[in-house]
Amino acid sequence: MSGAGNREQVFPTRMSLTGMKIKLKGATTGHSLLKRKSEALTKRFREITRRIDEAKRKMGKVMQVAAFSLAEVNYATGENIGYQIQEAAKSARFRVRARQENVSGVYLPQFEAYEEESNDFQLTGLGRGGQQIQKAKDVYSRAVETLVDLASLQTAFIILDEVIKVTNRRVNAIEHVIIPRTENTIKYIMSELDELDREEFYRLKKVQDKKQKDAAAADLERETDAALRAEAELAESKLVDEPGQLISEKDEDVIF
Amino acid sequence: MASTQAFKDRNFIGVIGDEDTVTGMLLAGIGHVRESDKERNFMVVDGKTSDEAIEKVFDDFTAGRKDLAIVLINQHIAERIRYKVDTFVEAFPAILEIPSKDHPYDPEMDSVLKRVRRLFGE
Amino acid sequence: MEGLYFNINTGYLDALIRGYRNGLLSSANYINLTQCESLEDVKLQLSATEYSTFLSNVGGQLSTSIISQHATGKLIEEYQYFRSQAVEPLTTLMDYISYGYMIDNMALLITGTLHERDTHELLDRCHPLGWFDTMPALCVATSIDELYNLVLVDTPLAKFFRETVTAADLDDLNIEIIRNSLYKSYLEDFYEWAGKQESPTRENLQSLLEFEADRRIINIALNSFGSELTPEHRLALFPQFGSVWETAAKQLARADDFDQARIAIESVGIYKSLFDSSGGQSIEDHFYRREMELCKAVFTQQFSYAVIWAWLKAREQEIRNITWISECIAQNQKERIQNFISVF
Repeated sequence: MSGAGNREQVFPTRMSLTGMKIKLKGATTGHSLLKRKSEALTKRFREITRRIDEAKRKMGKVMQVAAFSLAEVNYATGENIGYQIQEAAKSARFRVRARQENVSGVYLPQFEAYEEESNDFQLTGLGRGGQQIQKAKDVYSRAVETLVDLASLQTAFIILDEVIKVTNRRVNAIEHVIIPRTENTIKYIMSELDELDREEFYRLKKVQDKKQKDAAAADLERETDAALRAEAELAESKLVDEPGQLISEKDEDVIF
Repeated sequence: MASTQAFKDRNFIGVIGDEDTVTGMLLAGIGHVRESDKERNFMVVDGKTSDEAIEKVFDDFTAGRKDLAIVLINQHIAERIRYKVDTFVEAFPAILEIPSKDHPYDPEMDSVLKRVRRLFGE
Repeated sequence: MEGLYFNINTGYLDALIRGYRNGLLSSANYINLTQCESLEDVKLQLSATEYSTFLSNVGGQLSTSIISQHATGKLIEEYQYFRSQAVEPLTTLMDYISYGYMIDNMALLITGTLHERDTHELLDRCHPLGWFDTMPALCVATSIDELYNLVLVDTPLAKFFRETVTAADLDDLNIEIIRNSLYKSYLEDFYEWAGKQESPTRENLQSLLEFEADRRIINIALNSFGSELTPEHRLALFPQFGSVWETAAKQLARADDFDQARIAIESVGIYKSLFDSSGGQSIEDHFYRREMELCKAVFTQQFSYAVIWAWLKAREQEIRNITWISECIAQNQKERIQNFISVF
């Protein structure tokens, strides 16, 4: 993933370098925050998992006791009351509502049992076994409360599992994709900028070189010019000197 | 992530189980017959109930109805429609596998505990 | 005098029933049963008793419901054999006995019809002792009026129905009230019939019936605290005979909590110890124990037709005991296993 070619498509300018640097900083902060969130959630998650494990085992016991109370009902009434109960059921007395609990920004529902005014079976077992039925009702109500608690845990488990997965995915994405890519981009911009610098330097050098050469050439020209001019002057002065010579020759010849 | 608003009107507990389990749960007072269509929130499974019928009710409880917060199902019945229970990953309604009188609870079978164990790499 | 002709018609049955009575599980059997570790052990233990082969055809895993089902099946078979051998007045007695179960079955059918269920599948749930030939015909009824008319025409329960409920009642009243009104009317009728029998059948039946009436009165009183039943309603559901009716009925009907009921009941001599829960026994346990003692007493009499009822009750208790013990074993609740009632 973090191959050298993996970078964002930007122009290697100083401005985008600044942008990238800000982005990198943001990503690092975000990463550490998310990491912490994920850790907090995982801690919670582990705790919930442990409690689920416990609660599920406890449920086995509770349900057994409950089933046993039903056995007592059957013993007392001497018949199976299942059908009557099924037909008598009309409106739920035992209901649940969900409350929300905030764990590191995740809303976990918490089921809460509440009772409605309703008693569908108040006369069931009137002639026989009423007390046992009452007892079974109580035992089962308690059992269902345990189940409701367990359901809260389990829902929290499923939601947390999901959230932790998403968070971890984000953490990993930041850690293994976004940060390396931003770093790569920064490196690329830096290297591009360096390259530009070097080019500029070379160009400057070249210009300087040329300038020097030009300057040297100009000097040379100037010198040659000067020499020529001197020669020309010399020649001119010779031209002026010729009659003088002649005169002087004459002079030598003619002694006055 | 599961919708966080959807559970506001989920007030009931559904149950799919053998006669004793259902009777017990009804005694606890979870039984409800919807006024509009006389739908019950419980189902009695006996030896004659087909797997398809269980699946149908399971689907109805988990996806069809929106008023159940928790669905209780006997483990040995969940076993009959295991693939459905295992593939159900929504948070609502919460599916709880419960033991029945003749089938004690076996943590090895539980789809949630299976997930727990998978997560801890056991 | 009655002994002189008793054996002409009933000698065989009397011998048979006393044979069966000897086959009832003894305390030693129960002790063995409570030592069992699994239901397979229970099956093994039972195979050494009268139950010998009743589970031999059951393959696969045993459960308490299977055990109790087969035990009941065996009881029904034996009872029906008696029924086919019986002559008057034993037949009428046996009819009367079965009316009690019929009332339960009718309550089931009424519930089913009220909720517009398919009542055919309910037939399987009906108690076989309360079965009558025209019962499937009742399933044809789709409305409660129709059912009521069918009941009046077709069933042996017609006379109880006519006295106590109207078609409109079936719709309005709680099924438990209907059931208990029918039961009251049935018990009173039975009691009246028993009064016309010869001694010792008369005394035996009356003692059993009086106990049954007492038990119902006390139960109804205890179970109706805080319910919609007014004292008048309660009073109307009490069978009008027996020791509780004579002494404490009015007081009981007005009782609105456990203590008031307790005071009322304790004023009846024989039920003084009813609320004694020192041995972890419930009121129901006390009742069952007393019922068994009455049944045991019936067996000490000769030339009594009531033995058939006593035997039936004893067998039912035995099935409850076996079921209870199996349940305790299956569910690992050994500490409560002694909670059965064995008097033989």
